[in-house]
Amino acid sequence: MSNTDDIRWVTQVALLGDKNAFDKLTCKYQSPIRRFFLNLTAGDGPLSDDLAQETFIKAYLNITAFKGISGFSTWLYRIAYNVYYDSVRAHKKYADINEWEIDSQHQTQNEFSAEKMDIYRALRLLRKEEQTAVLLFYMEDKTHPEIAKIMNCPLGTVKTYILKGKEKLSLYLTNAGYGN
Amino acid sequence: METNDKLLKDFFSENKKEIADNGFSNRVMQNLPETADRSWIVWVFAAIGMAISIYFGLTSGLLEHAFSIFFKTVPYYYLIAGIACFPLLGTAGYYLSQNKSYAF
Repeated sequence: MSNTDDIRWVTQVALLGDKNAFDKLTCKYQSPIRRFFLNLTAGDGPLSDDLAQETFIKAYLNITAFKGISGFSTWLYRIAYNVYYDSVRAHKKYADINEWEIDSQHQTQNEFSAEKMDIYRALRLLRKEEQTAVLLFYMEDKTHPEIAKIMNCPLGTVKTYILKGKEKLSLYLTNAGYGN
Repeated sequence: METNDKLLKDFFSENKKEIADNGFSNRVMQNLPETADRSWIVWVFAAIGMAISIYFGLTSGLLEHAFSIFFKTVPYYYLIAGIACFPLLGTAGYYLSQNKSYAF
């Protein structure tokens, strides 16, 4: 399924309010968007599904704002990024609670827990912006300019986030015995 | 630096997994707010297009001419066979639309 399909489905949703076309878009992008949230929330499945659902509903409500300048995927990640940071800001007041402990409790309740502990531990070392940039670059195969659009920041800043994230992760992974 | 890059690429590709839908898309669809169905736009434009075509076809005499040639040259049993095809094609089309997984 190509970008042409995306444009066709978006047009059907925007002009005709065709929900079946939106269903096709949801089916196509549910996996990368949920994976993105799952990694950002350190494996919290229910929370990442809630955030993903909010992302798709916002995309549906604002689909006429999609101009097709960037790909639909990039536009959807931009919404996902905003949804995630809105959620982070909303829960800022609980910042004193040890997030890592809570996340670890959630991890024992979902199917990804054991095998993914390392990636969540590794991502935990990074700042939120670095986590996002690194995940988009290495996990979701986005280019630097696309990440700059998603995070709405200059290209140089994105490169710095990725570089710093890479340094921290490389050190962690080398110490953990990866790459030997 | 390239070693680090490869290390990270390998690490993330090992951890990159497709997530099964498991009803997620259905939940999203059920929670979408109701919006006006605008599919009537297609029918309005189709009707306008047909009306314009028929108007020019009639005023220019093109349709009349085409019909006279058609009925003179095409045998009547071809017409009967052609009309008889419609229910068959309609039934087949309906069947295929209701059974999306069906394949020849």
